[in-house]
Amino acid sequence: MSECLLEVSDLRVDFRNGGQVVRAVDQLTYSVRRGQTVAVIGESGSGKTVSSRAIMGLLPPTAKVTGSIRFDDIEMVGLGEKAMRGQRGCGVAMVFQDPTRSLNPTMRIGAQIREAIQTHEKASRGAAHDRALELLELVRLPAAQERLQQYPHQLSGGMRQRVMIAIALAASPKLLIADEATTALDVTTQAQIMELLRDLQQRLGMALIMISHDLGLAASFADEVVVMYAGRAVERAPTSMLFSHVRMPYTRALLDAIPRLENASHAPLAAVPGQPPNMALREPGCPFTPRCPNSTDKCRSQAPAFEEHEPGHLWACWHPCDDGVRL
Amino acid sequence: MADLPSDLVVAGVAPAADEAAVARAGGWWRGRLGVTVPAVMVALIFGLCFIWPIIGPVPPPTGGNILNASLPAFSPGHFLGTDPVGNDEWSRILYGGRASLEIALAVQAIGIVLGGLIGAIAGYLGGWRDATIMRVLDVFIAFPGLVLAVAIAQGLGPSELHTIWALSFFSVPASARISRAATLQLREQTFMTAARLSGTSFPRMVIGHIAPNIVPQLLTYALLGMGIIMILEGALSFVGLGVPPPAPSWGNMIAQGQSTISADPRYVFLPSAALFITVVSFNLLGEGLRARWGTQ
Amino acid sequence: MSSTSAPLSAPLAARAGRAGRLAGSPTLAFIVRRLLAAIPVLFGVTFLSFVVMNSLPGDAAQELLGAQATPAEIHQLEIKLGLDKPFLTRYWDWLHQAVIGHLGHSLSSGQSVASILGSDLPVTFELVGFAFLVSLALAVPLALVSARKPNGVADRLSMMFSMAGLSIAPYVLALVLVYVFAVKLNVLPALGWVPPGQSLGQNIRYLILPAVSIGLGLLCFYTRLLRADLLEQMQGEDYVVTARAKGVRPWRVLTRHALRNSLFGLITVVALNLGTLLGFTVVIEDIFGIPGIGHELLQAIDNRDIPVIEGIVFVFAVIVVLLNLAADVLYSVLDPRIRYGRPTE
Repeated sequence: MSECLLEVSDLRVDFRNGGQVVRAVDQLTYSVRRGQTVAVIGESGSGKTVSSRAIMGLLPPTAKVTGSIRFDDIEMVGLGEKAMRGQRGCGVAMVFQDPTRSLNPTMRIGAQIREAIQTHEKASRGAAHDRALELLELVRLPAAQERLQQYPHQLSGGMRQRVMIAIALAASPKLLIADEATTALDVTTQAQIMELLRDLQQRLGMALIMISHDLGLAASFADEVVVMYAGRAVERAPTSMLFSHVRMPYTRALLDAIPRLENASHAPLAAVPGQPPNMALREPGCPFTPRCPNSTDKCRSQAPAFEEHEPGHLWACWHPCDDGVRL
Repeated sequence: MADLPSDLVVAGVAPAADEAAVARAGGWWRGRLGVTVPAVMVALIFGLCFIWPIIGPVPPPTGGNILNASLPAFSPGHFLGTDPVGNDEWSRILYGGRASLEIALAVQAIGIVLGGLIGAIAGYLGGWRDATIMRVLDVFIAFPGLVLAVAIAQGLGPSELHTIWALSFFSVPASARISRAATLQLREQTFMTAARLSGTSFPRMVIGHIAPNIVPQLLTYALLGMGIIMILEGALSFVGLGVPPPAPSWGNMIAQGQSTISADPRYVFLPSAALFITVVSFNLLGEGLRARWGTQ
Repeated sequence: MSSTSAPLSAPLAARAGRAGRLAGSPTLAFIVRRLLAAIPVLFGVTFLSFVVMNSLPGDAAQELLGAQATPAEIHQLEIKLGLDKPFLTRYWDWLHQAVIGHLGHSLSSGQSVASILGSDLPVTFELVGFAFLVSLALAVPLALVSARKPNGVADRLSMMFSMAGLSIAPYVLALVLVYVFAVKLNVLPALGWVPPGQSLGQNIRYLILPAVSIGLGLLCFYTRLLRADLLEQMQGEDYVVTARAKGVRPWRVLTRHALRNSLFGLITVVALNLGTLLGFTVVIEDIFGIPGIGHELLQAIDNRDIPVIEGIVFVFAVIVVLLNLAADVLYSVLDPRIRYGRPTE
């Protein structure tokens, strides 16, 4: 049993769209140890969601996955459908962004949770029911008994997300992927759900990948951060190291964009200027060049390699930032 | 379910299969095939029925010599033989097709123009006017269509024109529903608000802004509807209405052929085959276009 | 859902809504609202049918008395039949008689319209009902198999056949079937009808060809519709991804998740399609000589037998409106979002 629960190496995901091929994820490499929390941060279109779906084999048939994803010593890329199903829910589980649409509106909560349980164990309906009850209590959903009989639309957003978490935990997965799990919730509920996730993680010894665009969230909850841009990993480091010695201009810009209490009121928000690149057009050089304050001609023509420049800290940049950032 | 697909389907018209989603997975060449082949077929059918009788050697469909009655296929001068009163069968098929197609085109045209207008007005105005119009249309749709058509055609007497009126009662409300739903979607767009704010007059709004945007959907729907209208025209002929003999239409040929079906089934099967091929072509064309343009 | 927008009877409907909610069920409010919305349509339909029937040129009285009748005799008969009163009066008289079941008597046979309907309706019901149920029952598995592997062999074949089936006119199919099975093979009868009370076996023999004529088109239609909806669910909906993420097998995702949601859409469409279906039934009954409502209607139109025509059209229209209503109600009962109302916090 190796230390590393999940090892993503040189992952590439291409989508065939009509006659075009769009590369959504390019040369992604990172790993997750047992019990660790890794945050994958990026804007929409950065490839963070696609890469996580690739881990579970949940991509549409138009996607082509190459590279390696080793989960618990099993190679997931190219894994047969039946074996993949065995891992889903049981080895790796996912919590999605929009609990409103992610739950079947015409099926009772209890039935949906029981399905998660009974897919992986032979349990009687009664036993599954009891376990479902336990799970709802685990995620701190009040009035669990009643909730089992209700339909998703009868619950609030936060409650639905707890149900999603309960479903994800049903088969005791070793790795939980939270794909923008709190983005659709209000700030208070967001904090509650994140606390819940952390608590569960510690209790169950589960590894957690949190996918988000919120660097602040990552700072509070993650052990390690992977920053993605245009389908590639651009910076990766343990959280404290990332924030104390930010190197990538992109990461820097993201940090600067976080609104802070100590800034003057009505000070303009420092947004990252420009737009993420069109993934259908692959240009040589670093994809962040048009928006980067540090860019030079070299950046335009040659793509920097993603390498470990300092112990534990990897980045891909010709002109990294030097100073640290206080958070 | 979205409003639009059920509307398309409400008239009992055409398959409601949404090929768009599947086509996306299947690649672009499938879309090409889906439109070109049926389009060519439709063009061929139109050519045969409308143009060929004018330029080619086709004997007249009526007034045949009784001495030539019931000749078999491939007889000299009559490659599909003749009917029981001596008319050339091939000619009857061509002219019959022309009649059936004319009727269907007219009905759909009336449907698009009248129904489109009504639906656009209802969708654009909204409120109680919309509700009233829709309620009236609901009445027409709830009324068993064929029964209404039968009654009307019966009341007015069989003729090509009356058949067109009768069938229009069917196509106008269905078209109106499509048009209204499309207009409702359109209404929310910003350019509409801009036009409204700049004081564009009501008729200008409808004709200049709404119409160009909903016409593609209406056209696709009209194409899909050609098949069912032709089938309905045949049904009318069956109950003694539709185009009056001796002038042929595929519908009345099938109906007339019923009596001799045991003796000589080709009088039924020839126009049936023609009708079938035509309806399939229209259906495929309509579906192909819908998949291509991604409209519902 | 039915595309009827805000009902004209809005204040009445609002009160109904409140009454329904007081009764403790949002469904009741919904049903009552729909019922009220259906009433104007019923009025409209019956009025329209009355208008159409009475605009038929050709005098009913004249028909009955024949060409030799003098104008005086015709006029007398008209008064006797009440045909001289103003239009609206006649409509109203007729309507409130019809609603309580007094539909008058046939002008040609003298038999009460109600009893004519009573003997004809069950026949048509059996025919249509049989065709409908069998088509639906077959369409579901066919659509599931198609949706399981879109663009696969089974799917392509089923789409090809359903396209062909849809493009055949029901009467053409009827004639082809009669030619093959009755004329050539002589295994099934071409004409006629035996009621199930008399002999179930024979009843089925006479039922098969006409039911297939109507049913094939329906089958193809429902299959395509269901398949399209299933694919939409499977490819577009998030809850399907959740189900897959749980490790649920694809067939189960299709049947336990997507199918449920797709069947809703089907209910609405089925109801809306009814008008056309009844229309074709008329032609089929004519071809096969089945003594149902359609056949009766054609004869009545030929004879200008106004009371019968009105009676039949009235019943047709009421049935269609009621079935639409039933579909709406069914929808509301099955869809938990409507049944259980708004979320509890």
